[in-house]
This record gives sequence, structure tokens and C-alpha cells, in this order.
Amino acid sequence: MDLSELNTPEMQRFYSEEQQRAVVTETVAKVTSECWDKCVSGTPGNKFSSGEASCLSNCAQRFVETNMLIWKKLQSM
Amino acid sequence: MDSFSSPSPGSSQQMSAQELKNKLQSQLALEYAQQFLETVRGKCFEKCITKPGSSLSGSESSCISRCVDRYIEATGIISKTLFGGSQH
Repeated sequence: MDLSELNTPEMQRFYSEEQQRAVVTETVAKVTSECWDKCVSGTPGNKFSSGEASCLSNCAQRFVETNMLIWKKLQSM
Repeated sequence: MDSFSSPSPGSSQQMSAQELKNKLQSQLALEYAQQFLETVRGKCFEKCITKPGSSLSGSESSCISRCVDRYIEATGIISKTLFGGSQH
């Protein structure tokens, strides 16, 4: 394989898709880490309480909104 | 493993685009798994090993096991909330 085969339109598409997948994976990882700390208290049980489950879901949404809010604020400065 | 060529050391390998993609995806999957392991290890060590003893107790072991399950579940909840559908 010569190096030009790494740079075809097909491979470029592939790199782009994998890059997006990486962003998704990293975002989920980061948000899960933060929301776990906020929502899961004490010793883990055999399942989440409904409170813990909704906390996790809410937390993820609030994270997105926080991100948006900060972005907007920085843009307005 | 490579049915498209018979590589010898130092020679250029004939790898199809699909094989290259597969190799890259495998490598990425491995790295994601590694990162996940490290994260879960940190969280569950924190939750379950509160007073380290001279050996891992039965309750500590089952706590870790439950913790891993819960963390995977939490990841699913977050993934679904943020991106919908089912993410791997």
C-alpha cells in the first residue's frame, strides 16, 4: 500500500465518520462521568432508583444547555 | 489473518481499503474500551473500597460488580439522552 491510498475520497469519508464517532464517544464519556458523580450517591445497587435514572437524564440535558449558554455568552463578549 | 496477501517482513503489504478501515476501527475500539475500563475502575474503586482491608471482601466484590453494571447503564442513559437511539 502506498500512501496515496490513505488519502482517497473514500478514506477521507471514513476518517470524517470516525472523527464524529470519537466526538460522540468522548462527549458521552465526559457527561456520564460528571453526572455519575452528581446523581449516584452511596453504594451502587442492583438497579437505579427512578430518582437516580431521571437525575442522570436531566443532568445530561442540563449539561448541553450549560454548554450552549456559556458558548452564547462568550460569543457576545 | 490477512487472506489477501502473503506479507514478508519488510515488504509492502497489499491491504484493501476495507481491511485498513477494519484495522483502524479495531484499534479505536480497543482504545475506547481501555479508556472506559480506567474510568469505571476509578469510579467503582471510589464507591466500593472505602476502607481497604487485607483482602477484597465478598461485599466489596459484589459492590464492584454492581457498580460496573450501573456505570454501563448510566452510559446508556446519557448516550440515549444526548444522541438518541442506541449507541455502542
